[in-house]
Amino acid sequence: METWRERILQFLFPAGSDTRLAVLRLGLGLQVILYALSLLNDWNYLFAATGSGLVSRNLGEAILSLESPFVPRLGWLIAFGAHVGLGEETVLSATWICLLAAGCGLLAGLFCRCSAILAWFLHLCAAKSGAFVSYGVDNFMTIGLFYLMLSPLPDRYSLDRRWRKFRPRDRQWTWRAPGDMDGRAMGPSERERASQLLGFYRRVLQLHMCLIYFFGGITKCLGSGWWNGANIWRALTRPPFDIVPPEILVRWKYFLPVLGISICLIETGYPVFIWLKKTRMIWLICVLGMHIAIGLTMGMYLFALVMMVLNIAAFGPNFSIAGTKGYVGGRKSAPV
Amino acid sequence: MRQKSVYLACFILHFLLIITVSFRETLWLVARGLTIFPSSSKSYSARAEKATSAARGHDLAASSALRQALATYLHLAGIERGYGYFAPNVPESYKLVLELHYPDGRVEYQLPRVNRAAAGLRVAGLLDEIGRTRYDPLREYMVKMLAYSTWREHPDVTMIRAVFGSISLPSISEFEHGKRESYEFLYAYDFSRTDKATEVETP
Repeated sequence: METWRERILQFLFPAGSDTRLAVLRLGLGLQVILYALSLLNDWNYLFAATGSGLVSRNLGEAILSLESPFVPRLGWLIAFGAHVGLGEETVLSATWICLLAAGCGLLAGLFCRCSAILAWFLHLCAAKSGAFVSYGVDNFMTIGLFYLMLSPLPDRYSLDRRWRKFRPRDRQWTWRAPGDMDGRAMGPSERERASQLLGFYRRVLQLHMCLIYFFGGITKCLGSGWWNGANIWRALTRPPFDIVPPEILVRWKYFLPVLGISICLIETGYPVFIWLKKTRMIWLICVLGMHIAIGLTMGMYLFALVMMVLNIAAFGPNFSIAGTKGYVGGRKSAPV
Repeated sequence: MRQKSVYLACFILHFLLIITVSFRETLWLVARGLTIFPSSSKSYSARAEKATSAARGHDLAASSALRQALATYLHLAGIERGYGYFAPNVPESYKLVLELHYPDGRVEYQLPRVNRAAAGLRVAGLLDEIGRTRYDPLREYMVKMLAYSTWREHPDVTMIRAVFGSISLPSISEFEHGKRESYEFLYAYDFSRTDKATEVETP
C-alpha cells in the first residue's frame, strides 16, 4: 500500500521546469487579448442587461443563481459600480479594459499572479453572465486560467523576474514559488520541492487534457455520423462554420470518412499514445493539426488557439531559451 | 509529506468531479437514444445517469450548502460541463428571421446582427440554445429579447414577427443531386408596440 502511494506521489510530483508554465502564461495572455479584441465592438451589446443588450444579461444570471448564487458574474461588478455612482455602460467598458490589461500583463509577465487572477475572474464573470452567448472556448479558457492562477508564478521568462526581481513566497502552500529556483538563498531540498510543485501542476493539466479528449472522443465514437464522414460534412457546411464552399468539400467526399474516423481515434487514443515516448510527438502533432484545421476551416480561431496552448503547455517539448537554465534543482526535468 | 497529502486529496476530489460530470453527459446521451447503442441500454444508462447526478449533489435541496459549494467549484474551475462538442452527432442549426412591419405597410427582413464574426459565433450559439430549450416561456422571452434589440435600431417599426426555424442541411449525395439547405419553420411570435406582452421585463 505504501509503495503504491509512493508511486502515485512520484508520478504526481515529478521534477519540472517552469518553461511549460511560461508557455501557458504566454499562450493564455495572447488568448485573453484576442478574446477581448474580438469582442471590442460587441462587448456592451452582448453583456448589457435588459434594455440595451442583445439578450438580457439578467436572464443568464437568474438561471445561474438557481445553481449557485456564489458564481462570479458581471452583475456583481455593475452593482458595485452603481454603489459608487457608475453606470452599467461605464462598468462594462472598464471590465473590458481591465480584461485586456490582464491579458497584456500575462503576456509580458508583469504582475503575473494578479494578472492571472484578474483575467480568470473577469473572463469567468463574462462567460457566466453571458452563458447564452458562450461556447467551448470560454470553457477551456476558464480551465486554463484556473490552473494558471493557482500555478507557482512567476516563471523565469516573466518581466516580474527580469525587471522587478520578484521572488515571492507562495504562502498559500508554504512552499517556495519557482521564482526562487535559480538557486539563491535556497537549499537543494527547497529547490526540489519547488520543482515538484511545478511538476504537479503540469501533471494536473496533462491528466485533464487526457480526460477532455477521451470523453470527447468516446462520445464521438458513439455517433454514427463520425464513422461515415457525415458529421464532418455537417460540421463544415453548418452555418456559421461554412467557410469552405461545399463544392470543394464534395470533391473530397471519399476522404471525409477517413477524417471522421481519424478524429475519433486521435481523441480517444490521446490518453494512451500521448504518454508513450514513441508516439507522443506524433499524437501531439496530430492534435495540433486537428485544431489548426478547425480554426481555418470553421473560423473558430480562438477555440483552436486555446486548445493548442493547453496541449503545448501540457505535452509540448521542453523548450529551452538561450541564456536560461534548462535544469531545475540540479536534475533534468522529467521527459513528460 | 503533509503538503503532498493535501495536494493529493485536492487532486482526487477535482478529478472525481471532472470524471463524474463527463461520464454523466455521456450517459445522458445514451439514455436518450442519441447514440449507436441499442435501445435496451437506455434504462441502464438512465439509472447510471441518475447515480452520477446524485454524486454531483443534484439530489440535494437547491438551498443545500453542499450542493451550492459543489456547483460553485465546478463553475470556478470550468468543469461544470462535459466535452462532447459536436458529439455524438453534429446538432441542428437554427435561424431567426425578423419581419419588420412599418406603419406604411412596408415589410423588411432582418437577421440578428453583431459587428464581428467572433460575436457572430456567439449569436449562433444563442440560437442553438433557443432551439434546444423545451420550456416555451423561456424560448419566447429570448426571442423577444432579440426582437427588442432590433427594435432599438428601427424605432419606427410598429410590429415585429420573429420566425424561428431550423436549417435543414442536405447530405453529400443530396447536395450532388442539387438539393441545398432549407429553412424549416418551428415557431413564430408577434411583438407589437401596443401589445402589453412586448414590454420587456426582467425574468
